Amino acid sequence: MPSKGKPAKSRASEASKSSPQPTTTTIASATQPPLPPTPPSDDTQTVSDRAKSRSAAARPLDTLLHQKGGALSALSRQDQSAWLAARIASRLAKRPALAASATTTGGGAAVARLSCGGGPKTLKEAWKAVNELSLPLRAVDSTSAAAARKRGYCYRNGEGDLRVKEFEARWEKKLVLSCLAVESRCFRDRRERERRGDREEKTGEQVVVTEHEVFEETRRRREMAALRRELYGGGVGKDGKLATDPEWDDVEPVVLEEPEGALAAIAYPADYAEAMAYLRAVMQAKEYSERCLRLTEHIINMNPSHYTVWLYRAANVFALKVSIPDEIAWLNRVALSNLKNYQIWHHRHLLVENYFPTIASDPATLSTFAAAERSFLQQILSQDTKNYHVWSYRSYLVGKLNLFGDADELAAIEAMIDDDVRNNSAWSHRFFLVFSNPAHASPGFAATEADPKVPAAVVDREVEYAEEKIRLAPQNQSGWNYLRGVLVKGGRKLGSVGEFVVGFVKGLGEGEEAEDVMSTHALDLLAEIYAEKGDKEKADLSLTRLGQKWDRIRVGYWEWRKKCVEAPA
Amino acid sequence: MATTGTPQRHPPAPRSPAHRSPDSETVDEEIAFDTRQRGVMIPDLFTQPPPVRDALATETSQVQDETVEVCLPLLGGEGNDVQYNEHGVPPLDRERHVRFLHQCLGQLPGRFVAADASRPWFLYWCLSALTMLEEDVTSYRQSVAATARSMQNDMGGFGGGGRQLSHMATTYAVVLSLALVGGDDAYEVADREAMWRWLCSLKQPDGGFQVCLGGEEDIRGAYCATVIISLLRLPLHLAPESPAYTEDGSVNLLTGVGDYVRRCQTFEGGISGQPNAEAHGAYAFCALGCLALLDHPGRSIRSYLDVPRLIAWLSSRQYAPEGGFSGRTNKLVDGCYSHWVGGCFPLIEACLNSTSGGLGAPAPAAEDPATATASSKRLPPADESLFSREGLIRYILCCCQDETKRGGLRDKPGKMSDAYHSCYVLSGLSSAQHQWLLDDPEAAQQQQQQKGQAEQGPVPDQTTSPPLPSLAGGEAVWAILPYLDGLQVFDNADRVRPIHPVYAIPQQSVRAMRDYFRARQGF
Repeated sequence: MPSKGKPAKSRASEASKSSPQPTTTTIASATQPPLPPTPPSDDTQTVSDRAKSRSAAARPLDTLLHQKGGALSALSRQDQSAWLAARIASRLAKRPALAASATTTGGGAAVARLSCGGGPKTLKEAWKAVNELSLPLRAVDSTSAAAARKRGYCYRNGEGDLRVKEFEARWEKKLVLSCLAVESRCFRDRRERERRGDREEKTGEQVVVTEHEVFEETRRRREMAALRRELYGGGVGKDGKLATDPEWDDVEPVVLEEPEGALAAIAYPADYAEAMAYLRAVMQAKEYSERCLRLTEHIINMNPSHYTVWLYRAANVFALKVSIPDEIAWLNRVALSNLKNYQIWHHRHLLVENYFPTIASDPATLSTFAAAERSFLQQILSQDTKNYHVWSYRSYLVGKLNLFGDADELAAIEAMIDDDVRNNSAWSHRFFLVFSNPAHASPGFAATEADPKVPAAVVDREVEYAEEKIRLAPQNQSGWNYLRGVLVKGGRKLGSVGEFVVGFVKGLGEGEEAEDVMSTHALDLLAEIYAEKGDKEKADLSLTRLGQKWDRIRVGYWEWRKKCVEAPA
Repeated sequence: MATTGTPQRHPPAPRSPAHRSPDSETVDEEIAFDTRQRGVMIPDLFTQPPPVRDALATETSQVQDETVEVCLPLLGGEGNDVQYNEHGVPPLDRERHVRFLHQCLGQLPGRFVAADASRPWFLYWCLSALTMLEEDVTSYRQSVAATARSMQNDMGGFGGGGRQLSHMATTYAVVLSLALVGGDDAYEVADREAMWRWLCSLKQPDGGFQVCLGGEEDIRGAYCATVIISLLRLPLHLAPESPAYTEDGSVNLLTGVGDYVRRCQTFEGGISGQPNAEAHGAYAFCALGCLALLDHPGRSIRSYLDVPRLIAWLSSRQYAPEGGFSGRTNKLVDGCYSHWVGGCFPLIEACLNSTSGGLGAPAPAAEDPATATASSKRLPPADESLFSREGLIRYILCCCQDETKRGGLRDKPGKMSDAYHSCYVLSGLSSAQHQWLLDDPEAAQQQQQQKGQAEQGPVPDQTTSPPLPSLAGGEAVWAILPYLDGLQVFDNADRVRPIHPVYAIPQQSVRAMRDYFRARQGF
């Protein structure tokens, strides 16, 4: 590489002075580049401004040329040759091998041809000029953003060009991040050594990673994650809760790419996407562990309706032999904050299926468990009285623990009916309690069929119960459906409650004034009672009045019922 | 009902000569005045609280009263910024609903994370609703196929998303979506052999199906399974790994399904999700859909269910003045039951109107003789609609359309529209606007036999003895007609495209998919 030589300022100044065009700025003044004007070096200076001015300073002649409008002829002659010399020199400077061969014998001519298209003499003069003017040989290529990115610099942020101060702060953060990364690497190495059973170099003791070290590492990773987020933006698997937790280091998250054009694709929150990626990994490995339990809890908190996660949780609970009461206690908290979710109830079902055989022979534990379940069910049903999945689970539980004859269960249901006599879920549960009780129910009968084994006393009691509740609110269909269901199940004629029913219908067919119907359901049942007795005329009248006045929206049905009455039985 | 509605209807607004200006130029104004005179043609059935009400207030009656209160203004023609026709019914705002549905198929924001396990449902709901609105959904063919592929598991079936366990409901939704977009590329997505194995692994000895491995067993499982088996024309015999497998081959995928359904009928007459629970509208549709595929509904529904009780329960789901259906006794109307309950009626009508099972002939014996229940009583045909079509249409068009620029259909006034309700409200509208006629079982069977002979030999299952249950109902061809009896309160332009009463997608889509797999030897 040719040396830069000593400054040639004075010579250049002289040359410029001798220029015939006094208006022309010459290279003499270009040691401080005239363009662009140096912006004030204060807080407002942006990085790209600074880069531009540095670039301009490194190419004084180019800058001058630019100022003159780009035409070489606008420069003084001396500046022209200086410009040319700078071009040649910088071309050579970029190609060190070429420059080196210039010094070998016979190489000079070839190099000269390649670099400046002239002979060795031109080359020599060029070097001389560069030397004398002390022109910079190498300069920043370009100030473009693309070039900056290529070098790993970021000149811009969301708001525009970065200020120099910000840029420097960024550098500092990068430095901190690098240091943390080295420390984190050391931690991982140490843990690897611990796993291998290595010994400490100094003490010769077994390598043990202490809890404190793990704690420090967690803190460190959080810091790294925060720095990364700040520097490079968020990203799954780099800075999430799990990726920063050393406990999950051995798991490679399985990130799922949606196919192109995927429909109804969800823009997952980063936490959720990360957790799912780890879930896929552990499910694939069929891992059952404490951390998997925690992972499922984490996901369930974000999306309680994810059946895959629930089933995987159940598998973990059983594989790890987690105490079922503990799991149920956890589940209660989840259930109370997710009333409409039903995966919760299947999970509970699975837990009971697993738990029951272990307590089946222990009446005390069994009754404690039943009481605890009932108490929780009451709590949740008090908030959502008709929750279908809760009631379905309740009927399962009654069957599983044989609570049909349990006075507390019946009392609990009665209390709910007292609260809201129209709660049909409670009525349905009562029907199940009474008529599916293996103590007096025959298996295999459909719900709408008579069961000869049901004792008359039970039927009497239930008829009485239904009648009592119907009196409270005669237009409440729950009570009527129950009453009718009881009669059919008990093999009783509908007419056996005829007297009760007719009390809700006055002056049928005796004109608009005289006719009063307190319950359309009573009139409906009355029509059936008349048909049962063979009084087709009255049955027909009841149905006609329902369609004409009392329950008009169902007129199509009432008309069909009239045909049923007429049809041969 | 329109026919009997006349006496209750307000007389047309009197246009007394005194009000009529002699100046002909004011005629326009007068017409406008008439339109503003809302409710002139609305039966008071839909504008007044019901005639029988109890004094006792409970939580149930309070929410019921509140619901009536929010519905009445919309039913009475007093909705803001809504154009009503002369019957007080607004038009179906196709444009907004279509836009809403296309949006739901696109990228969903982060708050939809709760739907992460049910993305296939969004596909089905939106594609089905768009189809009913007469949009061409074939442009979604490639993206549906790609999305479906990303959700399919090697073990068979489709999960709610990539690497999720296969689930009966999501598989059902995917298979229907593939049928809706149609085309060989879509049909070829499903790995039928793996699907068959997977279904076998879910089949339970009691006749029902689990919804996923280790999941709950309920009537959804049975309905989804029969639909999937039928659309993909899967073989019915069981793989030895199935929990229901028997060595003598006496059990197939459909064995005991009818009995399982029967155990789900409750004392109220409706159907519960699993035995011993409360009767619920959504499960009623699953039950009937399932039975209608097992055999001609004239036979299967009568064999396994107490039909009069079921009809009584279904009918009492419709309330006035709302006009819509509720899902359970003493629960509120909800637009989605327009399908779950409304969609039961075509199947019930097909059951009642088949002559072989009707007045002329006794019901055939079920698998278990004990099932010959009250249904064996002869039942009259349903010559007229068993539910108020006018009421349902009024509820749908007046109360279930989101009137803001958001579009889409909803549960009830005051609720947000969503893809689920858009789909099932429109399906219900389809039930209310059309009627379905089904050939008699005998005729259908003859046809099938002829077809069988033409195709070289009968179905292999029928060679074993005793005969195993088959999907005879899947072969049924339904004739679909617009329902034209009585007063039509909606404009003709608002008639939606009809769907198959069992598969809930257009009959052509069902036929095209089944035809595609008919020719297939083995998997």
